[in-house]
Amino acid sequence: MIKITNLEKIYRTDLVETVALNKMSFDVRKGEFVAIMGPSGCGKSTLLNILGLLDDCNGGSFLFDGIEVAKFNEQKRADLRKKNIGFVFQSFNLIDELTTYENVELPLIYNNVKAADRKVLVEEALDKMQIMHRRNHYPQQLSGGQQQRVAVARAVVNNPKLILADEPTGNLDSHNGNEVMDMLTTLNGQGTTIIMVTHSEHDAQYAHRIIRMLDGEKVTENILRELDYVHN
Amino acid sequence: MFKHYFKTAWRSLIRNKLFSAINIGGLAVGMSVAILIGFWIKEEVSYNTYFKHYDTIAQVMQNQTVEGKIYTQMANPFPLSKTLQLKYGSNFKHVVISSWQGDHILNKGLKSISESGMYMDKGADEMLSLKMIYGKYGGLKDPHSILLSASTAKAMFGNVNPLDQQIKIDNKLEVKVTGVYEDIPFNTDFNNLNFIAPWDLYVFDQKWIQDDRNEWDDNSFQIFVQFSDNVKIYEANQRVANAKYNEVSEGLKKFHPQVVLMPMSDWHLHNNWENGKQTGGAIIYIKLFCIIGIFVLLLACINFMNLSTARSEKRAKEVGIRKAVGSARSGIIKQFYFESILLTIIAFFIALLFVKLLLPWFNGISGKQMSIPWGNIFFWLISLLFIGITGVIAGSYPALYLSSFNPVKVLKGTFRVGKNAALPRKILIVIQFAVSLILIIGTCVVYKQIRFSQKRDLGYNKNNLIAVYMKTPEFFGKYDVLRNELMRKNAIENMAETSSPMTGLWSSSNSFNWEGKDPTLAQDFGVIRVTHDFGKTVNWQLKEGRDFSRSYVSDSSALIINEAAAKYMGLKNPIGTIVRWGSDSNASAYKIIGIAKNMLTESPYQSTRQTFYMLNYENANWMLMRLNPKMNMQKSLKEIGDTFKKYILSAPFEYQFVDKEFSKKFEDEERVGKLATFFAVLAVFISCLGLFGLASFMAEQKTKEIGIRKVLGASVFGLWKLLSKDFILLVLISCFIAAPIAWFSMYKWLQKYQYRTTITWWVFIVPAMFAIVITLITVSYHAIRAARANPVKSLKME
Repeated sequence: MIKITNLEKIYRTDLVETVALNKMSFDVRKGEFVAIMGPSGCGKSTLLNILGLLDDCNGGSFLFDGIEVAKFNEQKRADLRKKNIGFVFQSFNLIDELTTYENVELPLIYNNVKAADRKVLVEEALDKMQIMHRRNHYPQQLSGGQQQRVAVARAVVNNPKLILADEPTGNLDSHNGNEVMDMLTTLNGQGTTIIMVTHSEHDAQYAHRIIRMLDGEKVTENILRELDYVHN
Repeated sequence: MFKHYFKTAWRSLIRNKLFSAINIGGLAVGMSVAILIGFWIKEEVSYNTYFKHYDTIAQVMQNQTVEGKIYTQMANPFPLSKTLQLKYGSNFKHVVISSWQGDHILNKGLKSISESGMYMDKGADEMLSLKMIYGKYGGLKDPHSILLSASTAKAMFGNVNPLDQQIKIDNKLEVKVTGVYEDIPFNTDFNNLNFIAPWDLYVFDQKWIQDDRNEWDDNSFQIFVQFSDNVKIYEANQRVANAKYNEVSEGLKKFHPQVVLMPMSDWHLHNNWENGKQTGGAIIYIKLFCIIGIFVLLLACINFMNLSTARSEKRAKEVGIRKAVGSARSGIIKQFYFESILLTIIAFFIALLFVKLLLPWFNGISGKQMSIPWGNIFFWLISLLFIGITGVIAGSYPALYLSSFNPVKVLKGTFRVGKNAALPRKILIVIQFAVSLILIIGTCVVYKQIRFSQKRDLGYNKNNLIAVYMKTPEFFGKYDVLRNELMRKNAIENMAETSSPMTGLWSSSNSFNWEGKDPTLAQDFGVIRVTHDFGKTVNWQLKEGRDFSRSYVSDSSALIINEAAAKYMGLKNPIGTIVRWGSDSNASAYKIIGIAKNMLTESPYQSTRQTFYMLNYENANWMLMRLNPKMNMQKSLKEIGDTFKKYILSAPFEYQFVDKEFSKKFEDEERVGKLATFFAVLAVFISCLGLFGLASFMAEQKTKEIGIRKVLGASVFGLWKLLSKDFILLVLISCFIAAPIAWFSMYKWLQKYQYRTTITWWVFIVPAMFAIVITLITVSYHAIRAARANPVKSLKME
């Protein structure tokens, strides 16, 4: 589903040039759950942002479902992103002015889904994340765990092919953290590809494969368990 | 999608109440000023357009050259009207000579009302396209007729048709009502014209006008014309230029009289003349206010941008999330435009409320009768356009700036606005404060000039002095009996009659000669006819010689001159000098018996005109009475009123206090002062909004620095000083920019006054101190909040 080859990302200021990704290559199969680990500053979030089409790269190739997307302009990236990718962030990133329901509804609005269909899909997602009873609450009225459930619901509501999770349990206690990881595993079990950046060895154990990075390069790759079957 | 935009915008507005209130409030203030100015400009440019023949009516003006300088006046000699009709008639549909507009008494049986009107020649009704309710055009053909305005007709006759009813003007002239016209609206030069009587009646009534029929030397009347079809104004102007010059004697030719036709479209906005040329007029205020309106609205829009982007780090997160979940930049731009237009709509309705509240006051200052045209569809269409433009201008920078945020940085929490992002805001603050300071300094100088002129020595005592205008002939010949009775009743200390009010100079002449007169002296002398007790009544101060006295019969040809006259005449010892009035051998001779200190009767800002006072019991227009200070004022006035009613039956007893009339001379300057104060307050308010935006922006930018400083031991007071210092510096820069501009503008403004105040140091220092204090108050809210914030939180964000 994803194939990156010799991907490069360099940050330049007047005085310093920092190589964030150095000829990084790997691929991710449909339905796979991949954990990316490494110390702070190793380039894992940069990688995730490029994979999520939020950021562009300086060199190399990035195939998404067989299409080269590395040179896409902003509009094309936004189009591809809203149809195929869901995000889960460490700090939840919900919009404070919108209720639980409305936050989850947001990707559907940008995808021009009809209001009646939106209702069905949002309620389905909220139900799945067991947060339906908080549908009219604002983010600041929810606990961290609840906020992350909403964020996950928002990430899946559009039924994306890929979920990118950037330390999704980083701001949660172990109980809520485990719940979020269970949710992601369930989604993965239902066929959604997941790429997760994490510092937690515990969380990484939920994945099929762990890619470890150092100084912008892939250093090791461990397969924890085999992908059961390839989803179509 | 719009529903979603609306929801987000509305909730963001409700959640940040203070910020929203300041932002909308600022915009509303800017918009209300723009609306007020818009109303005012509309009113000004539509002045006189009520008249159907607006484009083809003109007033006859006259240029005369005196001592090398050309003076322009509206007053013309009687025979000019006939000449224009007979020799230049093909140019005009109507030539209408008329009196000046003035108050007269209209009597119907025992009912008397005082109304303002004019005597005008036939054709006035048609020329002015009066909308006749009763009667038709041609109502002035009969010399004993009168046209009444609808309100006057109603006041006199109620709701009945008054045609053919007989009434009297000033209790003596019998006239028949031949027409009733719709009241002429306020924004015209004839707005208070409540009756029009025939010119022929005026001539019939006044001997001096009959004598003037062929007199080219007495410029006492107005003449209006309406051009014939296809006659261009400049052609007509060229043809009639010498209409007077060709008719006058050699003596008058030296003044080189030139006739100029001023079109009605110029009367209101282009009526200033300098050295024979039109030099603008109130149009300058239209331009000035237009600039002020646009400037204020633009400042308010910029403040809106400032405040909207000041919390950019807060909005950045939302932008990042939206982009991450699939919004394109254009979607975010649309959202911010939607927000700004929504806020502009709210601001507009608040602005309408402000306008509604401010209009009575603004009408008072501007001398208008404006109202909000709620039912006018055109007004709402313009408003829609106004909202759209304002919303787009105000929303443009936030929309483009906020939508440009990189979602990666924003969502990672490493987003920081650039260091230079504050620079445009700083420049804006400096400009805003410089404008505010210029206005404040200007206001101080205007009021200083008013106070300075109010303290000027008047040369007489204006307090406790009342004046009664002698409206009807019934006043004449009653002076002695009124004076004796009022003196006997102790209601007054003294009483006199005069031809000019104490606050004006109604007649002048340049036909005075004396032995040794410099032949180049051609300026007019003010001529005031008074009764014996004038000096004692007004308490004038004689510098030399003596007052008029009943003991000297010869005082009937005595002259008291003022100091200005003594100086202008250049006489070493004026007392005893014989002055002749008139150019022929029958000229009357007057002997100067005294010199009075200059009395201020005209502009308090100009030097006093050379004036002659002479005894005359037949040409009085005003009665002056000094109230007895030992008697209660109300009682004195009642006694005077009762006495007047006893002897003068036809006219209601109406009086003026001279001191109040005098204070009206400052109305123009006070209006300028009030407007300057209004704009200064507004500018300060808008500047404070800008400052507030900048303070919140800088506090947000410096969160980390403040956190570190606090950890290292900085006190709240120390941090407050640190944060406030930058702003004080900006205001000081504004002071240095404002001071020379304000000084130069006010120096130029003061030059138009001969009698003027000085620009002292405190008019700069006090506003500067004020600006600094108001700056500290405004920025302290953010400075103290930032300084008191928990450093752990701000550092954790890193």
